[in-house]
Parts: sequence; C-alpha cells; structure tokens
Amino acid sequence: MFPSCWGGANKASIALRKLHINAEQENLLAEIVESIIPETDSPGGRTLHLHLFVLKMIDDCHSEEDQQVFVQGLKDWDQEMNDAVGKSFLLASSDQRQSYLMDIEKDKAHPLSGFFMMTKRRAIQGYLNSAYVMKNKLIYELVPGRYNGYAKV
Amino acid sequence: MANINIDSIKERTFDAIVIGSGISGGWAAKEFCEKGLRTLVLERGRDVKHVKDYPTTNMYPYEFEHRLEMPYEDKQKNPIANRCYAYREDSAHFFVKDDEHPYIQEKEFDWIRGYQVGGKSLLWARQVQRWSDFDFEGPARDGFAVDWPIRYRDLAPWYDHVERFIGVAGNRDGVAELPDGEFLPAYPLNAVENHFKNIVASKYDNRYVISARCAHLSQPAPIHLEQGRVQCQNRVLCQRGCPFGGYFSSNASTLPWAEKTGNMTLRPFSVVESIIYDEQKGKAVGVRVIDTNTKEVIDFYSRVIFVNASALNSNLILLNSTSSRFPNGLGNDNGLLGKYIGFHSYTAVITGEYDGELEYRTDGRNPAGGGYIPRFRNIYKQETDFLRGWAATFSASRTPSTDTSGVGVSLKDQLLHPKLGNWRVGSHMMAETIPKESNKVWLDTAEKDQWGVPLLHIDVAYDDNDWKIRTDYFEQMTAMFDAAGFQNVKTRNDDRRPGNDIHEMGGVRMGHDPQTSLLNKWNQLHTCQNVFVTDGACMTSTATQNPSLTYMALTARAVDYALMLMKKREF
Repeated sequence: MFPSCWGGANKASIALRKLHINAEQENLLAEIVESIIPETDSPGGRTLHLHLFVLKMIDDCHSEEDQQVFVQGLKDWDQEMNDAVGKSFLLASSDQRQSYLMDIEKDKAHPLSGFFMMTKRRAIQGYLNSAYVMKNKLIYELVPGRYNGYAKV
Repeated sequence: MANINIDSIKERTFDAIVIGSGISGGWAAKEFCEKGLRTLVLERGRDVKHVKDYPTTNMYPYEFEHRLEMPYEDKQKNPIANRCYAYREDSAHFFVKDDEHPYIQEKEFDWIRGYQVGGKSLLWARQVQRWSDFDFEGPARDGFAVDWPIRYRDLAPWYDHVERFIGVAGNRDGVAELPDGEFLPAYPLNAVENHFKNIVASKYDNRYVISARCAHLSQPAPIHLEQGRVQCQNRVLCQRGCPFGGYFSSNASTLPWAEKTGNMTLRPFSVVESIIYDEQKGKAVGVRVIDTNTKEVIDFYSRVIFVNASALNSNLILLNSTSSRFPNGLGNDNGLLGKYIGFHSYTAVITGEYDGELEYRTDGRNPAGGGYIPRFRNIYKQETDFLRGWAATFSASRTPSTDTSGVGVSLKDQLLHPKLGNWRVGSHMMAETIPKESNKVWLDTAEKDQWGVPLLHIDVAYDDNDWKIRTDYFEQMTAMFDAAGFQNVKTRNDDRRPGNDIHEMGGVRMGHDPQTSLLNKWNQLHTCQNVFVTDGACMTSTATQNPSLTYMALTARAVDYALMLMKKREF
C-alpha cells in the first residue's frame, strides 16, 4: 500500500495541462498498464514508463470528452472492481487482474470500457514506439538504404 | 542626399527578380544566375538551409513527444493543415498554420501552403510525369478552356533539361500517353505490383502499370554529386527534408546551385505586395515588398520579373498590382485574371487483398511508392459520357500485422511477433478537372492580412464531370482488381475538399489570344511582356499528371526566352 502522501503534493509525477491525476491514480494506472504489457524476460509497462506515455497522450491528443471518460474511469476503477470481484486492483492477484481486464475488453457496454480501450491503445502505441522495442525487438531502421520487392519469406 | 538615394536605388536594382523560392522559383533563380544575371529571389517566409534547417530529419519515432501525432489542440486550431497527409509532428514546421494566413472560402477549399525558402518543394510527393500532346491538345479537341499555345515538342527539350538536373528514377516504358524522359534507374515494382501489371497488360490494349517516376536519386550522376546530393537511402521521411539530398528540392538543388554563381541575392521575410508598373515606360519596373520583420515597404527594381509565388498567390499578386493602365490587376484587360482555376480530383480510393505471391515480401522502403497507371480514357477520341479521365497510383505491400487482442503475456508476445498476412493492395485516383470560369479567386475589398495585403476569396468546387469520372474509376479499377484475383475489394469515396490535392492551377492561363488568356506561349503577360508567370497559375488545363515537372520545364524555357529578349535589349 502507498501512503497518501506518496508523490509529495500528491500530484502526478509528470506535468499535465488538462488532466487532474493524483499519485495514487497514477500508480493504479501504472499497475493496469503493467497488467496489459507485463514484465517478462523483457521490460514491461512500468519499467518503460508506458503509463506516463498514456497520460501524456490523453492530456495532449484527446478531446475534453475523452479526457473526462478517462479521468472518471480511473476514479471509478476500484469501486467497479470491488463490486464485481470483491477486491481492489492493487490487492487482486495477477490472474484476477487479467480476467477482469478481459471481462472489460469483451464487454463494449462495460462502464470502464471507454477508459480501458483508450489506455490499452495508447499503452500499445507507447510500447511499439519505445526506444527499447525499436532498438532491441522490432528494429526500426532510420536509413534502410535498400528496397527489395521480391524478398524471400 | 541625392547620392544616397541613387546608391540606395542601385543597391535595390537587379537584372531579374524572382518572386518565390519554391519548385519553379528555384528553377528561375538557377537559370538566371547560371547565365550571369544578378538575380533577386524574394521569399515571404523564413530561410531554410539544406540539412542545417531540417531539425527533425534524423529523429527516431520515439524521440517525438507524441510519436508523430499532432496534438488535439493543433487539430482544432489548424483543421486545414491537419487535413494534409504530410502534416505531422516531424514536418509541421514547414506548413502554414490556418490562422497565420487567413483566406476566404466561398466554398470549402483546403489551401495547403509552405511559406519558407524552398516552399512546398520540401514537402512534395516527388512524382514526376511528362505531359503528352494528348494532354496539350485536350482543351482544343474537347472544347473547354482555350487551346494551349504550346505542344509537346515545345517543352520536350526542357523536360530533358530539368530531368537531367533534378534526377528522375523511371523506366522508358514506351507509352505514348506518358512520354519517356532522361531517367535514372527505376525503382522496380514488387511481386504483386508486377502481377497486376502483367494481368492488366494481358487483358487490356491500352492500359499500363509502370514504375512510378519520381524525383529521387536512385543512382546519382556526376551532375547530382556536383550539387552535393547523393543516392537516396530509401528512408521515405522526405517531408522532414533529406540530409542526403536524395530527392529534389529547391533547398538541396537549385538554390545552392544559384548561390554558388555569386549572382543570387536571396531575401527571405519579403512579402510581395505588388508589381510596380511604369505608365511611361509601359512595362513593369520592379516589385514592392513588405519586410515581415520591420514592416518596412521597400521597392526593388529589375528588367524582368518572374512570378513564382505558388498558383493562387501569383494570382493574388497580379490582382493586387493595379495602376491606371491596369485598374483590375496587372495584365488583366480581359477580366479573366483569377478565373478558370483547376485542380486534381483525388476523391476515390480502392483497396483489396491478395493471397498469391506469398513466398515474397518486401524489404526496405520504396521511395517511388509503387506503380502508376497513366490515363487511358478518351485518349485518341471521346469515348465516355465524361470529358478527359483519370490516372491512378497502384501499390502493394506486405507489412506484418499485429494482433492487439487480449492482455498480458500473450498480448506482449503478439506485439513482438507480428504475422505476415496476405498482401494489401491499393490505388487512389488522380483525375483531370475541367477549368471553368466559375472556379475563381478574387481579392476582398476590405479585409487585409497583417501586411496590408487584401485577403483572397477562393470559390472552387467539383462538378458533375468529376463524379462521373469517379464512377468510372470505381468500375474500371474494380474490374481490374477482380481480374487480378484480388479479394475483399472495397471502393471508398475520399471526401477531401478541392485544394487538398495540393495541385491548384490556373487563373493566369496561357493561350494564343490576349482576349481569352493572360499569358502567351512564352509565359509572358500578353500586355506586360517583361513579367513572366511560370508556376501553377499559368496552366490552361490540368491533365492528370503531377504538375511540378511541367512547371519546372516551363520555367527553364521561359527564362531562356527572356534571356534572348534581354540580349536583344527588348527589355
């Protein structure tokens, strides 16, 4: 558990222009994103700061309506999950988290659907466009220097 | 005092003034400077030096704050710029923002502009195709606009001249509708593009799929190395400016070439308010400029003036150049200045998939973008219920696709192991539009921009011919895609507004007759012959080809003619 004073003035750790997110919410988001893209033999969401990328993109690249859905989703998250699973996200096991996320993904009418889909989409974008993945996994070539229209598979 | 004024006037006097430093202005500058003329090149925007002023050119996607996406606020503030496919986080600094340079839309029109040294030559799609006589003879044969005062033979040597210098990758395809040129090796079609090419060749008599011809150095010649440009490295990040000079831009090519002669004076931050007409001399004597930093009004003088401000801005400058002799704008005795605007209709897209050639994929990136289908409708005679026709792109790609369903370890594994699926194929239409008197621009009588220059009204729209052409594109391309065995073929209307093709043309059209045109066959104003207009504004009709190559060829040809007249002391 995190003490309520975690994060100094209890603000998010990055400067946000529109979103009002506190440190607990930021931490919850980090846990959700880590559950979407977990650490395995390679870094996951938290290590790659994907939750901060999600915040940055929601803050800069989404409409106010989207931002409201996002902030409300983050606020409602624990209550919704408590009602459904009887546990908060932070106390839930890894399996419980995964299955809860899958429940939301499958149910377009789920009250957390809007929040979840936005978060997931931005987390994936941040992951695939991260320096880690582009340098180590799916190598991005700035200067290919070639084109072959008949490369053998 | 008198001496100071004389000196000052002397310092502001040149042999030639070129208004605009974009793709055609750069050519005018190069040709004049090479021939020893002291040339002033005026650019309304800031300077952009090759390589040095390409701040994003070597950035990786993760180095962009929003991974190349434009922020929501920018989209709200600049809807016009944001509708341009090339306006992204890596290139936004080369585009005009909507509110900085307003204009008045009578009907929805996206005016995409690049106000800096090099203009839109930094941003263009680099596709270059020659016109043929099937295009030049169009208006006369089909009874629209006016007859072009030139034919292919007039321009052919200038196409050669330009192509050799800029570097064009292409094949000599032997297609009469799309004359061959001076080519560097083409970027070959890929497995599925070739499959489509072969099917089309076997099923149709006069339809061709060729390697798209593009202004990239596939294999630089000595003339390109001399410009400091080297082989294209297949980055396909061209809109950032290319550190290799792999594609042609004014910044990488014509302007540094002109500068090397020592004859060019490049003056950025210089909005041209008007061209100065001398009633006694009966000709233009110079250009009135507003310095955008100091707001100072400065007159510059020269024997000859080339107007290359981009199509609609060239119209604006001429309309704003009034005198007792020309109360309605320079050269505008017939009232046609600003009228008969044309563009290209890019309103249709077709996509599909292909499950053949699966032993192949592509590797690297193709700067040419794939294939090109020259116009085949109404070539030799009128054969449809619409005038003219369409050209099209065709490209196939096989990039791995990612399954983003689920969460956790399985999702992560899917993300890191994208699967090679079927080929995806696609094409978009590039149709000729018919210039009409009702498609026009004019100056507002009250509203002015921050430099005191009147705002431009733009009144341009599609017409029934455009929709008939689109229907034909869908029918014919669907049949061709079906014949090639493509699956999941889908046609889609592209609802882009006129102007979003970024091929605005006309308003100062060329023609034989001063009664019905503004420019003669040498791009001189009929009634003010030391003023030449050689950008998109001069176009009598639009054809289907990407127009920049033709502007460059017309410019080089017109400079050559102007030099001849200057030698004969005609002006």
